[in-house]
Amino acid sequence: MKQFSLWLSTTSPSLFIQNHNAWTIPGLQSLHIIGIAMVMGAVLMLDLRILELAGMDQTMEETIDRFGPWLTASLWWMLATGLLMVVGQPTRELMSFSFRAKVVLVAAGALASVFLRRRPTKAFAILTFLLWMCIIVLGRLIAYDHVWGSWSPAAG
Amino acid sequence: MEIQSALRWLQETSLANGIRNSLLLFPLLEAVHVFGLALVVGTITVIDLRLLGLASTRRPFHVMASDILKWTWVAFAITVCAGALMFTTNAQVYFANFYFRVKVGLLALAGLNVMLFHLTAYRRLERWDREPSAPAIGRIAAAASLVIWIAIIFSGRMIGFTTTRAAVPEPPPDVNLEELLFK
Repeated sequence: MKQFSLWLSTTSPSLFIQNHNAWTIPGLQSLHIIGIAMVMGAVLMLDLRILELAGMDQTMEETIDRFGPWLTASLWWMLATGLLMVVGQPTRELMSFSFRAKVVLVAAGALASVFLRRRPTKAFAILTFLLWMCIIVLGRLIAYDHVWGSWSPAAG
Repeated sequence: MEIQSALRWLQETSLANGIRNSLLLFPLLEAVHVFGLALVVGTITVIDLRLLGLASTRRPFHVMASDILKWTWVAFAITVCAGALMFTTNAQVYFANFYFRVKVGLLALAGLNVMLFHLTAYRRLERWDREPSAPAIGRIAAAASLVIWIAIIFSGRMIGFTTTRAAVPEPPPDVNLEELLFK
């Protein structure tokens, strides 16, 4: 993984992002955060409807029709901007514990959201919301991977 | 200067010291800030798209507003609290930062935009409540809101890149600092 990230950092798309990092890095992170807002907006609306705390003028089907495709599209947007962030800073992302744990949880979150649309239960709604919260925390912790001590692949 | 001594007092409080000296508190506050703002912007987008006639067009506006905006305010309170706590750790630096000032200005602009919406389109709500989109002035406010919030996110992220954290806890000696170079 170390070799791969070092190679990736020598490719021209990566060099372009690195050489213009004054605006590319914060710009990509902002686009990624806008994606988080779209995901969390859709997740909140779906979960609140399942928990019967909002959207009660709509049926479950109507709510899923409105926010399901929105959630799917936002997750693809997150993947696209996230991949560009990996290309821009390969070692920072790939050689971090937070990033690797986040990838696992995002896969779980995407699967869970498909499952949730088919069988919307209250316990599962709360669980997936907490899952997305953990994903946000891990995403921010990529910038502070030393907090994991020896778990961080960058250590040692 | 009066404000500078207030800022200096703020960043020397035991609260600010506690956050600064903790390895995890500042990153966690950042995460809470991102979580809160995601819910703020996510829910506001749902409302704005409704005003623009791009989504949820068959739901009466007043139902959506009373249904959703209370959650927006809860999320906004969470975001402001986390942001304020981050501010205390390095108050003088943040106060002087260009992007911090831009962000505060944009937040004020977002508030002004809501006020103008309430004084104009919202006053005649009964005329368009069930229409697929708001009248022109409402659509302009919705588009402005989306643009302002995107700019707020970008300026917020820029604050992190144009300030240095005060008294960052030392990373363990076996961590290669090169790899932590970009925040």
